[in-house]
Amino acid sequence: MPARVALKSVRRRGGLFEGIASNIQALAVAVKYFVDPQRATLLYPREYIEHRPGYRGFIVFIKEKCISCAACARICPSAAMKMVRVTEPDPKHPDRPRQKQYPVINYQRCIFCGYCVDICPTEALYHVPFQDVVYESLADMFLTLEAFQVEPKRPAVAEGSPVVYEVDEERGLVKRRR
Amino acid sequence: MVLETILYIVAYPPLWQLLILGFLGSLVVAMVAIWFERKAAARVQRRIGPYWASPRLGGFINIVADMVRYVMQQVIIPNTVDRAAFILAPIVALVVSILPLAFTPLTPISLYWPVASMEFSLLIALAITTIPPLLVVALGWAANNKFAVIGSMRESYVITAYELVAVLAILSGAAATLSFNLVDIVEAQQPLKWLAILNPLAFLAAFLAVLMSTSAFPFEIPESEHEVVAGPFTEYSGVLYALNMGGAYIRRFVYAVLLSLVFLGGWAPYTPVSEGPIAGFIVPSLIVVAKATLLVLAMSFLRAVYGRYRLDQALEAAWRLAIPLALLGFGWSLALAYANVI
Repeated sequence: MPARVALKSVRRRGGLFEGIASNIQALAVAVKYFVDPQRATLLYPREYIEHRPGYRGFIVFIKEKCISCAACARICPSAAMKMVRVTEPDPKHPDRPRQKQYPVINYQRCIFCGYCVDICPTEALYHVPFQDVVYESLADMFLTLEAFQVEPKRPAVAEGSPVVYEVDEERGLVKRRR
Repeated sequence: MVLETILYIVAYPPLWQLLILGFLGSLVVAMVAIWFERKAAARVQRRIGPYWASPRLGGFINIVADMVRYVMQQVIIPNTVDRAAFILAPIVALVVSILPLAFTPLTPISLYWPVASMEFSLLIALAITTIPPLLVVALGWAANNKFAVIGSMRESYVITAYELVAVLAILSGAAATLSFNLVDIVEAQQPLKWLAILNPLAFLAAFLAVLMSTSAFPFEIPESEHEVVAGPFTEYSGVLYALNMGGAYIRRFVYAVLLSLVFLGGWAPYTPVSEGPIAGFIVPSLIVVAKATLLVLAMSFLRAVYGRYRLDQALEAAWRLAIPLALLGFGWSLALAYANVI
């Protein structure tokens, strides 16, 4: 049996004067913002957001600290991080090279969750506090071991000025220049 | 001597009033209004609005580029439309939209009126302003498209409701001054007895009705984008579309000129001192146009405040609120006339 449709009687809210008052209130708010605008828009290349430390941005690898435990590759939820096998000279035995595994990252897949940084037992991975890095092709987003160790450059820093978003008690999210 | 001759040629009423003020003036006012609409809405909504094209001008060049784009665009005329009506209706609507300016005096000196006599000028101008919506209905029908037909049906609903309000509310000026002569109406409120101050109800009703009948933003029902693609103008492109949009802005401008004559005292702070073309015609007409521009900008500002009304809400507002308001304003005007206030 299909459900019965019940027609609810909706009470009309307010009278004529309440309507007039609310209209005037809305106009007053609009005029207030028109006279004193609080813009939240980012003029991107001229301004960029300066994130706080701890922001999960691009990930940089320090090869010297890595113990090849592969915990980062195993924890990665989107399978962005893979271990590659590298043949390199062994400092203990100079006569014979050793084989070792190091992580590389694929930024086509990375979701910037930061699990790899959190789980690394020797802190061989760290975040840089920005995400606005541009690659020219999709293949470039698959970082090699050498590229993974270089801290990426932020393009907006060259021409822009830093900006911080702060929560204001009355106005909500407010953009402040540093 | 040469300068004086040039001045007299410029001040030739059909040239100055219809072409320069009517056509070019309303084009400029339309551009300023569109720019102001976007910038004001952006400021209120905490955005920035058009900016990068020309940061010093606040992005005004953006609007010019839009205009150029409309003019350069290919005009596509579908096979299924009624060609004659499809092409002619926007052009006729544009011309008819400017025509009321021929019957509006912008100066008290009869030398500079486009027509010989201003008797019944308010009635004639009001009558002409009610014609262009019919052409909009016609062009929506001629476009032979479901969205266009729905849009023109909405337009017909809206004009039956709001043209009545507009005519009633603006005629309350005639009721207060007991004259259909716009010059008399303006002269009667000459020092500072503006009808907008003495009779705010009629002014409010007229303002609402102009907003509605020119489909300005809070009542942009016939061409509401996300319901019916562009309403009656769905099949239009290029210059013809620009003519349609320009027609709406010119109508709003002409209505604003009428409102500023009837309610805002016309050339009020200024009284022509001599009959020269500058003092007698150009200065008072520019004062009227400045008032009309302010009115148009005030209408644009409402975009930032209100969302679009539904058709039934707008019609309810018309029949339940605006028409009683207009009638009240009319009665108030009669009372003003009876008490000899004006």
